[in-house]
Amino acid sequence: MQQEVVLAMLAKEPSSGSGLRARLNDALGPLGEAMNDGQIYVNLSRLEKAGLIARQGIGMPGAGAGAGAGAGPGAGRKVYQLTAAGQERVAEWLTEVSWPKPDLAEFHLKLVAAAQAGLADPIGIVDAQRRELLRRLRDVERAAMAEPGGSQAGLLLEGIALRLQADLRWLEACERAWTDRRYR
Amino acid sequence: MGKLLLVWRLAAKDLRHNALEAVLLLLAVAAAATTLTLGLALHGVTNAPYARTRAATHGPDVVASVFPGGPNAPGPAKVGELRPLEHAKGVVAASGPFPVTWVVLRGRSSAGAEVEGRSTAPVAVDQPKLTAGSWVRPGGVVLEAGFASALDLHVGDQLRLAGVPLRVVGTAVTAAVTSYGKLCYIGCDDRNVSYGQPGFVWTTTADAARVAHVAKEPIAYFLNLKLADPAQAAGFANRFDASTANAPSAPYLVSWQDIANEDAKVIGNVQLVLFTGSWLLVLLALASVAVLVGGRMAEQSRRVGLVKAVGGTPTFVAMVLVLEHMLVGVGAAAVGLLLGWLVAPTLDGPGAGMLGSAGAPALGPAGIGLVLALAVAVAVAATFVPTLRAARTTTVRLLDDAARTPRRRPMVLKVSAHLPASLLVGVRLAVRRPRRLLLAVFSVAVTASGIMAVLVVHATNAARGLAPNDPQDLRLDQVTALLSVMLVVLAAVNALFIAWATILDTRHAAALVRALGATPGQVTVGISVAQLVPALAGALLGIPGGLGIFDVAKKGGSAVIPAAGWIALMVLGTVLAVAVLAAIPARVGTRRSVAEVLQAEAA
Amino acid sequence: MNENDSADPLVRCRGLRKEYGSGEGMVRAVDEVDLEVARGEALAIMGPSGCGKSTLLHLLGGLDRPTAGELWLGGRRIDRLCERGLAQLRRHDVGFVFQAFHLMDELTAEENVELPALLAGRSPRDARQRARELLGEVGLADRADHLPSALSGGQRQRVAVARALANEPQLVLADEPTGNLDSAATLEVLRLFEDLHTAGLTLVVVTHDERIAATADRLISMRDGALVDETRLVGGTRGNLGDLAGLGG
Repeated sequence: MQQEVVLAMLAKEPSSGSGLRARLNDALGPLGEAMNDGQIYVNLSRLEKAGLIARQGIGMPGAGAGAGAGAGPGAGRKVYQLTAAGQERVAEWLTEVSWPKPDLAEFHLKLVAAAQAGLADPIGIVDAQRRELLRRLRDVERAAMAEPGGSQAGLLLEGIALRLQADLRWLEACERAWTDRRYR
Repeated sequence: MGKLLLVWRLAAKDLRHNALEAVLLLLAVAAAATTLTLGLALHGVTNAPYARTRAATHGPDVVASVFPGGPNAPGPAKVGELRPLEHAKGVVAASGPFPVTWVVLRGRSSAGAEVEGRSTAPVAVDQPKLTAGSWVRPGGVVLEAGFASALDLHVGDQLRLAGVPLRVVGTAVTAAVTSYGKLCYIGCDDRNVSYGQPGFVWTTTADAARVAHVAKEPIAYFLNLKLADPAQAAGFANRFDASTANAPSAPYLVSWQDIANEDAKVIGNVQLVLFTGSWLLVLLALASVAVLVGGRMAEQSRRVGLVKAVGGTPTFVAMVLVLEHMLVGVGAAAVGLLLGWLVAPTLDGPGAGMLGSAGAPALGPAGIGLVLALAVAVAVAATFVPTLRAARTTTVRLLDDAARTPRRRPMVLKVSAHLPASLLVGVRLAVRRPRRLLLAVFSVAVTASGIMAVLVVHATNAARGLAPNDPQDLRLDQVTALLSVMLVVLAAVNALFIAWATILDTRHAAALVRALGATPGQVTVGISVAQLVPALAGALLGIPGGLGIFDVAKKGGSAVIPAAGWIALMVLGTVLAVAVLAAIPARVGTRRSVAEVLQAEAA
Repeated sequence: MNENDSADPLVRCRGLRKEYGSGEGMVRAVDEVDLEVARGEALAIMGPSGCGKSTLLHLLGGLDRPTAGELWLGGRRIDRLCERGLAQLRRHDVGFVFQAFHLMDELTAEENVELPALLAGRSPRDARQRARELLGEVGLADRADHLPSALSGGQRQRVAVARALANEPQLVLADEPTGNLDSAATLEVLRLFEDLHTAGLTLVVVTHDERIAATADRLISMRDGALVDETRLVGGTRGNLGDLAGLGG
């Protein structure tokens, strides 16, 4: 799972590792069980090193008395929040339309995060992604039609086309579901 | 028991579901049942009135007559030849001999009259029963009731017999002569009277003699005999005729049975027409039923498939279908019996020449049973094939039964390609169901035959020269008119059914053709015109068909071919009617938008 | 070649509406649709079942008449035409390809294809000639005398396309042309549509199939009888084909 997912989840509000875990479970349902706890903490430390998030209460503005978790040494959970650079990265990530290898969970969480943080309209994200996939499908079809009938490359291209078609179907389903208000 | 109940419930539900078709089926069969009922009801209907008249007038068992000599043996009638008969073995009473002559009667219109001279006092045998006014007196005549109503003469009217002015003082009925219109069965010497069949008139003996003298007409003599055993009357007449066969001016004998039968023939003709007509209607009803049922066959097959799929056996399935149609048949029989019972009195009045009407048509249990059996048989017969098929075909095939792919006919395709668009469409659509085309030809042929037969009857009657306003003629006209109307109505219904079934069948193809650029007008015209060829074939077949029917019914009686103009009218009228009737459902069918039909079929 | 080079659009509709039923039970299948299709353009219409896309297509092709709104084809107003006028339209200006093919089962391929020409009044010889040519163009010259029952799904649809072209229409409308076809047959039909497009024909295709939609110039989405989205698909993508197949990083 890409670290941008964790980053985006923090856009709604600062959260600890276990808090993030809970929210991810919510969004992933039974698939959340396949997720490794370690992945979250690894990503959190990478993001901190990259300066995209910071621990609350350590040289951070706005970390005053009464800020949730204990700030002193030996305190339990660490609570993280986005830095300015982190916010920028999240905004950029939301508009990206690269389609990684089959990783539906990532796109799904992108939509969830965007909706929860109020940063972008999930439907807009879905539409943009759909358009991109359609263009790719068009390229694949053109290539397939250029192939003589029965060529091996043609068979491979057909496979790509069918997968893109399947993905597009799912995107349509996403669009329908996210239009329905109860889903939010 | 439960299974029977289930069969009943399924059949009832199916009928309700297709109520319109069930009703149409019922009407078609009911038409045939009605005619059959009428035919049966009129059987022997004159016997009762004749018997009543005979009893009331002390009608004779035998009527003997002598006529004046012909050109070979001139001379007056030998009344002396009648005397021995009064005392012959078996005779118990007699009246007459009465003088009889034939002259011209002029009242409101002119007619021939057979005049019998009578005493003013009543006699023991054949005293005519008055239906109005009083008996003969000097200057006063009594007309036979049928004759009087035909000439529209009433008590108190003036008339002239051979120019002698006389007055009508009464009307009466008798059993001693045949009804008006067939008087000369007894024997006529009306060589000088050229008004066709005469009517009967009673006068005083003196008046009769005077009239005969003025007209210079010869006089015949009639003697009425009563036998000890009336049943022997025919034998008596035959024996006597045989023993005097060679004597030139021997009396001529007629028994009361002969008279009764001759009277019955009047009704008999009517009955014959009705019987023949009812067979024609049965055939048409069969055609209707076949079309109706054939049109439903695909749907029925699928429904049958469903029943079978849930465990029904072929027998079960057959039982449901047969029960449905039996119910329709029974309903049709009921309707037919009711209608026949209502209509019969208007037809079977034995004519004014007999006492009383026939009363409610006597249709005994046998008759009712026959009508019932016929109606049920017709309803079930036409369903036999689909029932059998449905019961035998495997369930899967039944459920999957999309409309059978029509057979490819390369000749038709090649020829139709050269026709204009509407005919191209019409012909190609029509040949998809060749059996229906045959049904159309059959139905039109039956109707045309019936109408042709009616035309022949009319032409034959007209050539016979009957008396004016002959009640026979009128009654026959009534009946043939009724029959023609029923034939035409049923045939029209058939034409509509056939066109409707064709439209339904070809709905998809017609919509497709419209989607490809044919206008609704072209489709309508095409379908209508395509029905014209079978209609023309049927109408032309009807010409020999009608003649054949007449031949068979009259048992070889001579037929007079109707005028060519009437025949042409029949053929053209039939063809036009079919064209119009086919156009109606075609037009209605093209109202639905193409998209709707194609979507529905693709589903 | 896919740009709107000619000034007038071939198809234009304003406020197009189609309603069924009345009162409580009224269904609005097409709801105030405004649409233009340029000459030579390939337009795809997508949407969920029951969204009215087939109805819209039927209206464009004159198979049904709109309840309200204006519809122009080739500069001529066609929404008020009587059935006869619509039939003329279908005869000369519009070719229709159906999802269920709707070929006549008792006619061979060439007899099916020549039918619109015969209905339009061409001589049987001309019509047969044209049918053979068209079957050649769709690659079925050797199957011209086969009955539909002897043809595969893809071949039948190709015959249907040939039939739609019989009278040289300006506009070809296709309703779910690959709905009943498998993947290989879909490619056949795709190729055919590409050829038509290249030849300059205007195409409007209603489809569920993203593969067909992706080859159009413009993609329109419908929902509940109204147009809700429009996408132009000209221009390249941001990825490369290798990625899609799992090759490369």
